[in-house]
Amino acid sequence: MLSKFNYLKPKSLDEALAYIKENPGTKLLAGGTDLMIVLRRNMEIVDHVLDIKDIPETKRFEYKAGEGLFIGASVTVNEISECDVVAEKYAAVKEAADSLASYQLRNRATLVGNLCNASPGADLASPLLVFDAVVHIAGPNGIREVALENFFTGVKRTVLVPGEIVIGVMLPDVKGDTSVFLKQARIKGHDLGIAGVSIRRTGEGKLCVGMTAVAPTPIRLRNLEESLQSKPFSAETAEWLNEEIKNHIKPISDIRSSAEYRLHVSGVLAQKGLMQLIAMGGK
Amino acid sequence: MCDRHNKDGDCFEYVESGMPRVPMSCKINGEIVHKMVDPTMTLLQFLHKDMSLFGTKEGCGEGECGACTIKMNGRAVNSCLVLAAEAQGSEIITVEGLSKNGELSVLQKEFIKHDALQCGFCTPGMLMSARALLDKNNDPDLEEVKEAIAGNFCRCTGYFPIIDAILATAKKEREGSDHE
Repeated sequence: MLSKFNYLKPKSLDEALAYIKENPGTKLLAGGTDLMIVLRRNMEIVDHVLDIKDIPETKRFEYKAGEGLFIGASVTVNEISECDVVAEKYAAVKEAADSLASYQLRNRATLVGNLCNASPGADLASPLLVFDAVVHIAGPNGIREVALENFFTGVKRTVLVPGEIVIGVMLPDVKGDTSVFLKQARIKGHDLGIAGVSIRRTGEGKLCVGMTAVAPTPIRLRNLEESLQSKPFSAETAEWLNEEIKNHIKPISDIRSSAEYRLHVSGVLAQKGLMQLIAMGGK
Repeated sequence: MCDRHNKDGDCFEYVESGMPRVPMSCKINGEIVHKMVDPTMTLLQFLHKDMSLFGTKEGCGEGECGACTIKMNGRAVNSCLVLAAEAQGSEIITVEGLSKNGELSVLQKEFIKHDALQCGFCTPGMLMSARALLDKNNDPDLEEVKEAIAGNFCRCTGYFPIIDAILATAKKEREGSDHE
C-alpha cells in the first residue's frame, strides 16, 4: 500500500477525541474489513489510523430491560449473531448479521462499521432502521444521539463531522415483536445484496419496513407503513405490498442488477417477508 | 499501471513504509513473540516477512478468498485484513501450528485421505476455518460445515471432499475424546 500512516490504539475516549482533533483526516479502524481494502487499493492516502477497539465505551454490549440493547462500535457481527437477546428480541438483526459476507469476515466486521461505511446496501441498516436504532456519537462537546433514520445523508455519506466518533447504537427495548430480514444477492457469502428488506411487527401490531440498495441510502418506508396501518394482517395485504412497495423506492441499475429487477425483487421479498410474519402469528 | 490497486509495480509485494515501528507482542503457535512492526504491515505480511511462516497464503488480499485465514483469539479471521499492530496481545494459530512433533493432525490426515486438495493453495486457509469450527463445535452438521468454509475459495476440488474430510475429522476427534 502507498499510505504511510501512524497507528494508535488509545485506551480512552478522551485520548481518541484529542488525537483526531489534532490530526485531521485520521481514519478510524474497528474491524478493518472496509478500511483495509481502501488502503490496499490506494483509493485514499491516509496519514493516521486510530484503532478504537480499546476504548471502553465501544466494547459495551449490554441489554437492560426497559432501556434496550446497546451495541458498541467494537462489537463484531458474529458476537451479535451469537447473542441470545438479539435472536429473541431483534430477530431481523440476527438474520442480517448471518447474511453478511463470510464467516471469517464477520469475526472482524462490526455492525457500527457497516453503518458508518454508509453503503446504500449496508445489510445491517434495514433491521436497525425498523427497530428505531439511535446512533451515539462522541465529539468535542460530548455525546449526541441521532436517529439512524437521520444518520445517512447520501451514498457513503453520514451526518458525522470531523472530530467525531460513533461509540455505538442503541436499540430501544421491545416486547412481543416479530421481525424478518430478507435479501437477494447474486452469490451467498461474496457479494453485496441486490436488495434487502426488513419488516417488523410490533407487539401492538404496527408494521415497520426498511430497505437497502434501493435508494441512495438505506431507507425506512414511512409512507408505506402508514398505508399498511389500515390494511388487515393477511395474505391479500402481502400481495398488495408486492406491488405497492415499488411506488416507494427508486433503485438504480448497476453491475449487480438492473433497476427493473431490483423493483421486481423488492416486491417479492416484501411479500415473502410479510407472509413469514403472518406464519409466525401475531404473538 | 494496476487499475485495481491504483499503482505501479507488484501490488502484492510488501514495501517498508519507513514509519516509526510500534511494539507488538503476541503468541504464535504457542510461542511468545516480541517484535517492532511497521504500522502499515498486515498480519499476513508479518507472518511471512518477520516470522518466516509461509504456510498462510495470500490470494486476493481483500478478504474474499480466505487463503490467508488464521485463528486469532480462537476465531477464524482473514490475516490480510488485520494490521500486524492489531495483533498486540493476541493468540495466533497458523497452519504450521496444527501438526505436533512432526506428526500431522487428524484434520490434515483426513484432508489427505479424502483427496481434499489438489493444488493446495486454499488448503492452509481451509484447514484453519475447519479448525476454528471444530474447536467451537465438535459435532457440526453439513450446513454448519458449509457456512464455516463459505469464505474459503477452492477452484480444484468442488468442495465435497473438503466437507467430507471435516465431517470425518469431527467424528474421529469425538471418538478419540471418548476413549480418553
